[in-house]
Amino acid sequence: MAEAILEVSGLVKHYPLTRGILFKKQIGAVRAVDGVDFELAAGETLGIVGESGCGKSTVARMLVNLEKPTDGTIKYKGEDITKLSGRALKAVRRNIQMVFQDPYTSLNPRMTVGDIIGEPYEIHPEVAPKGDRRRRVQDLLDVVGLNPEYINRYPHQFSGGQRQRIGIARGLALRPEIIVADEPVSALDVSVQAQVINLMERLQDEFDLSYVFIAHDLSIVRHISDRVGVMYLGRIVETGRDAEIYDHPTHPYTQALLSAVPVPDPEARERRERIILAGDVPSPANIPSGCRFRTRCWKAQERCAREVPPLAVPEEFRFVEGPAAHDSACHFAEEKRVVPPEEPPEQAT
Amino acid sequence: MLLEVRDLHVEFRTRDGVAKAVNGVDYGVDEGETLAVLGESGSGKSVTAQAVMGILDMPPGRITGGEILFQGRDLLKLKEDERRKVRGAEMAMIFQDALSSLNPVLSVGDQLGEMFTVHRGMSRKDARAKAIELMDRVRIPAAADRVRDYPHQFSGGMRQRIMIAMALALEPALIIADEPTTALDVTVQAQVMDLLAELQRELDMGLILITHDLGVVADVADRIAVMYAGRIVESAPVHDIYKAPAHPYTKGLLESIPRLDQKGQELYAIKGLPPNLMHIPPGCAFNPRCPMAQDICRTEVPPLFEVDREGVDRAAGDQEAGVRTSACFFWRECLDG
Repeated sequence: MAEAILEVSGLVKHYPLTRGILFKKQIGAVRAVDGVDFELAAGETLGIVGESGCGKSTVARMLVNLEKPTDGTIKYKGEDITKLSGRALKAVRRNIQMVFQDPYTSLNPRMTVGDIIGEPYEIHPEVAPKGDRRRRVQDLLDVVGLNPEYINRYPHQFSGGQRQRIGIARGLALRPEIIVADEPVSALDVSVQAQVINLMERLQDEFDLSYVFIAHDLSIVRHISDRVGVMYLGRIVETGRDAEIYDHPTHPYTQALLSAVPVPDPEARERRERIILAGDVPSPANIPSGCRFRTRCWKAQERCAREVPPLAVPEEFRFVEGPAAHDSACHFAEEKRVVPPEEPPEQAT
Repeated sequence: MLLEVRDLHVEFRTRDGVAKAVNGVDYGVDEGETLAVLGESGSGKSVTAQAVMGILDMPPGRITGGEILFQGRDLLKLKEDERRKVRGAEMAMIFQDALSSLNPVLSVGDQLGEMFTVHRGMSRKDARAKAIELMDRVRIPAAADRVRDYPHQFSGGMRQRIMIAMALALEPALIIADEPTTALDVTVQAQVMDLLAELQRELDMGLILITHDLGVVADVADRIAVMYAGRIVESAPVHDIYKAPAHPYTKGLLESIPRLDQKGQELYAIKGLPPNLMHIPPGCAFNPRCPMAQDICRTEVPPLFEVDREGVDRAAGDQEAGVRTSACFFWRECLDG
C-alpha cells in the first residue's frame, strides 16, 4: 500500500446523557463512535458503509475537525490533528475538506455561488491573492461542469445535482489532498447520481485526491471505492479491499447487509440467498455486551456475549492466502457468498 | 381490472404559471397484482396516486381531464361524502415518512382503532381489540403492551409497520404505497417489503408501489410503469423491462446503476436535467436528454406503441402478463441496443 496520508486509531465519540438542570449528573452516554481504526493511502478511496445511527457521519465530522473526539487520534501525515489548535489546525484543515449530503441546506441561500465557492479564500488568503479569486472561482465552476457565467446566481436557481457540484467546487477551492464526502449523492435523483459520481472520479485523477466516501448505498460504494469498511453501532466490523468485502464477506452483518440490498435484476431474485435480520439496531446508548451485533445475529452463542471480537483476520483464515483473509470482527467468521456472480449483460452496448 | 386510470391530467396553478404535473396517464392494476410506478422526483408519480386516492390539494391542484375507474365506478364523478367511504375502506395509502404521517399526540392504538370506530361504528373497546390484532398481524412484538405507546416510541421500521397495519385495517381491495421503504435502512427495508408482499398475497389485494428505486421494483413487482414528466413512457412486465428496455429513458436509468463489470469505468449518465414542468419541451419530453432523438421527436408527441415482435423480446411466461408499451418512435432501435 502507498504511504498512509491519514491514520485513524481508537477513535471514540461519546455524547453524554445528563439528568437535572442545576446539578447535572451524567447518567450514561450515547456511544456514537466507539473505537474506529483505519488508514487512508494517498490517492485511494475508502468507502464507509453502514445503516443510519452507525456513526459514519460522526466519523466524517471528526475527520474534518467539526467534532472533537472523546478519545483516539487522527494522524494526518504523522501529525495528530485532534490536539491541534489555532494556526496549525487551520493549516491542516486546508488539506482536508468536506462535501455534505444535502445540497439544499449546505449552501447559504443568501450568498451567490461566487461568494460560496470563494469563501474558503477569505479564510485562507494565502492560497489565492484577492485579485485572482474571481477567476479561480470561474475555473472551479468550469471544472465541475457548470457554466462559469453562473457566478452571480443564487443556490435556489440550481437543481439538486448542480448544487452538489457547487458543494464539490467549494470543497476543491483550497486544493485539498483529502475530501471527506458524507453521502454526497443520496439526496439526488438516480439519473443525476451517476453524473456526480463520474465527476468525483474524474476530479480524483485530475487533482490527486484521496476520498473518504461515506454512504449507505452499497453498489455506489463498491463502484467508487478501493477499500471498504462496514460499520455497525460505532465500530468497523469488517474491512478489506472492495472485492474481498463484496464477494467474500465473512462477517454475518456484512452478509445480511449485502443480501438485503435489492438487486435491479429480477432474474437474480430467484438465485440469491436472502438473510433477513430480526429486529432493529440497538440504541447506541445501550450497546450489547461482547459482540455488538449478537442481538440480531443468527450465529450468536454464549461466547459472543462475553468477549468482544477483535477486528483482525479471523483464525480460520489466518494461514490461508486468498480474498477471505481480511479483517472481520466475528468469533465465528466464515466465508459466504450472498450475491450471485453477475452474468455479463446480454446486449453489448 | 380493479383500478383503471385513463388519460389523467393534473395541473397546478402557481404564481409563476401552470405546472403540468400529470399529462395523460393510463395505468391499471388487477386483484393480487403489484404494479410498480417508477420515476424521479417531479415525474408525477405521487400526484397521480394522490388523485386516485382523492387527497390531492385542490386548489392549487386541478384535475383537468381523464377518468379513474375503481371497480367500474368513475371516482372523479363521486360526491365527496361517497368518495370518503371508498377511501380507507376500499383503497388505502401507505406514505413514505411514517413519523410525519402518524399523529404524534394520539397513541397508535387510538389511531388504528379510529379506522373501526369511524368506518365500522365499533365501540372503543372493540376497536382497541382490533388494533391489537392488527399490530400482531404486522408482527409488532408485545402488541398488547405497546398499543398505548405513541409513535415516537417506535423505531422507523416499527412505525412503518403501523402505517401498513392502518392501511390494511379495513381490508381494502387496493393499496397504494408511496415510497414505503425509502426512509428505512436496508436491512429493515427488506423486512418491511417482505411483510407487505406477504399480506398482499394473503388478502389478494392490488398494490401500486411508487418508487424511484429500481432494485426494490425488481424484487416485488409484476409490472412496471415508468413515468417521465407526467407521462408513462414505458409499461411492461418486470422481466421484460430488465431484459430489454424499450424506451431510452428506462435504458438510461438501468445503465446508470453501477455494475460489477464496470468497476473503474465511467458510469453511464443521462445527460441534462429533468424538465421544468412549466416548460415541458415540445414533442417527446425526453428529447433534449435522449441520445437517439431525431427531428420527429422534437415536434411530435410519441403515442404509446405496442411493443410486440412475436415473442422475440419477451421473457418466457410473460406473454400472458399483459401488453408491453413504449412511448418512443424508435422503440425497435432501442430494443436492439
